[in-house]
Amino acid sequence: MSYLLQLLVSGLVVGSIYALAALGFVLIYKSSRVINFAHGQFIAVGAFLVYALVVYLGANVGLALAAALALTAGLGFLVEKLFLRPLVGQPIISVIMVTIGLASLIDGLVHLTPLGGGNFSLPRFLPEGGIAFLGVSVSYPQVLAVVLTLVFLLAFGWFFQRSTLGAAMRAVADDQMAAMSLGVSVEHVFALAWAAAGITAAAAGFIVGTISGINLQGLVAIGLKVFPVVILGGLDSIPGAVVGGVIIGVLENLATGYLDPLIPGGGTGEVFPFLVLLLVLWFKPHGLFGTEEIERV
Amino acid sequence: MRNPWAETGNYKTSYRQDSTIFATYLEELSLVGLLALLVGLPFFLSRPQMFVVDLILIYALAVLGLNIITGYAGLINIGQAAFVGVGAYTAALLAPGLPFWLTIPLGGLAAAAAGAIVGIPSLRIKHLYLAIATLAFQVIFEWIVGHAPLLKQGGAIPMPRVVFLGYRVGYKNHYYFWYFVALALLVLLAFAFRNLLRTRFGRALVAVRDNDRAADAMGMHPGLTKIFAFALGAFYAGVAGGLYAYFSRAVVIEDYMLPVSIKFLAMAIVGGLGSLPGSFLGPAFLVLLDLNMEDFANWLKSLGLSYAGVDIASAMRPLTFGLVIVLFLVFEPRGLANWWRLVRNYFKNWPFRY
Repeated sequence: MSYLLQLLVSGLVVGSIYALAALGFVLIYKSSRVINFAHGQFIAVGAFLVYALVVYLGANVGLALAAALALTAGLGFLVEKLFLRPLVGQPIISVIMVTIGLASLIDGLVHLTPLGGGNFSLPRFLPEGGIAFLGVSVSYPQVLAVVLTLVFLLAFGWFFQRSTLGAAMRAVADDQMAAMSLGVSVEHVFALAWAAAGITAAAAGFIVGTISGINLQGLVAIGLKVFPVVILGGLDSIPGAVVGGVIIGVLENLATGYLDPLIPGGGTGEVFPFLVLLLVLWFKPHGLFGTEEIERV
Repeated sequence: MRNPWAETGNYKTSYRQDSTIFATYLEELSLVGLLALLVGLPFFLSRPQMFVVDLILIYALAVLGLNIITGYAGLINIGQAAFVGVGAYTAALLAPGLPFWLTIPLGGLAAAAAGAIVGIPSLRIKHLYLAIATLAFQVIFEWIVGHAPLLKQGGAIPMPRVVFLGYRVGYKNHYYFWYFVALALLVLLAFAFRNLLRTRFGRALVAVRDNDRAADAMGMHPGLTKIFAFALGAFYAGVAGGLYAYFSRAVVIEDYMLPVSIKFLAMAIVGGLGSLPGSFLGPAFLVLLDLNMEDFANWLKSLGLSYAGVDIASAMRPLTFGLVIVLFLVFEPRGLANWWRLVRNYFKNWPFRY
């Protein structure tokens, strides 16, 4: 029983990372219909920025996180202006490929710094140990991960429901033409969505850094895991990203916990989310909360 | 007056004339010239150079397949390397018992079957959702190969040396022999590719790409057409995989993973989506770029431009690769094929401007 609970709790922690990562991904898709294959690289950039600020410049962790969030927001903004703006109106394949090219470009840039190869870990800033209940132990970094995710989700929820900019973003996602005719700057909203995606990606990267070590491959792999999450939740649904993230995180951990001993070689956690993805695509293509496309001739 | 050597105007008066492959003798002549050049090429190149040329031809085959799926049918395929892998592993499993001229087509057929299965979701889903389904196929393929004891869990499966017409292909002429096999297959399949658009099935592909509901209303079956596109494109990939297995003398999972799929997509984009010359120019450009980048990185290192903990080579390759994709998409979305077209038209119309 406590084994199951332990798996559920660690699944919840991993799931909250996925939820944060997926949130940014969905924001971009919802506003501009772009699938961002460079999302894993955004996460990596966020994590490495925190690491570099803390280790090389000796900054305080909180300060470093704030600076990293701001910088990745700037990165997202810049990427939209430089690469996505010229491709408005081009076929989907071009838009997908430009994010793939961008992913490769960022990979190369990270490799130009000493952070490209090898494992790094943030200096410990939380006390040792953790909380134990019902025979399950949760370390402080894991608690921090869940709390930070909740904070970010609440902040974004507030932003979308209460602020003018958030309302503008929702309006553009709902109907671009109508929003434009009412004076909402669609360009502005696109750039903002990318900046917001940068922020959530950096937050996800930071959380990974507090829980475990950071390396480029691992962080980029999270960008790939976002796909099952958003397909399960629905590509254009923000609650879907959160629910999908938690479900995929828990399923992945359950698969690792229960199926790995049965299968020689293990690693079921890696492939299980993608099997779920295929099943969802077959039986419920628009996910749990996605808008169904209704086609008319 | 119609000039049989140059196209001086549109003199076509019937449908039959309009659907001829060669408009002028010059076009026939240039095709024969190109083939003669390709057949004669190995006699002027050294062994390491042949390695590069072989690689380009095999990649061109896979990119041709991708151009059927993504270029003609408009289905974004992020799993082409997995189809290539299916062909390669099939060839590797059959190679001890069967001759290569059977294993390579069988690899193609196995990949086509895999392609048809991957295409099944296209009955219900489209666009981005389908792209993600092919991504899932790629990940699942890698996992299955990584866990199958039969496939050495992704480790190297050696390929035997082949004997053809009593002639044993050894170390010295390995790349030369496979050049001619690849060339023969490529000419055959490129011819099929070029003619696909002249057939019912090829036209259905383009119709479904442009508007699948309209195609449905015209009596085509969009779902089956998409599955056909996947199967055909995967067949090309499988043949490329079988060739690649023999060519590289071992089958390793690293050659069929996600980055390779992305490389194929990049080759198709850089060459020009859905274009036959582009399917050769794209792979040639990226293979040569990759090789030159290695030299360039070594040169930078020799200048003392490296610092601790940084491997310039591992940075320059993704950097230039990404830069090339992005620059092409922003500045020349029609790819190298468009440059080829401009140059060709200049000479075709010379001395006139147009």
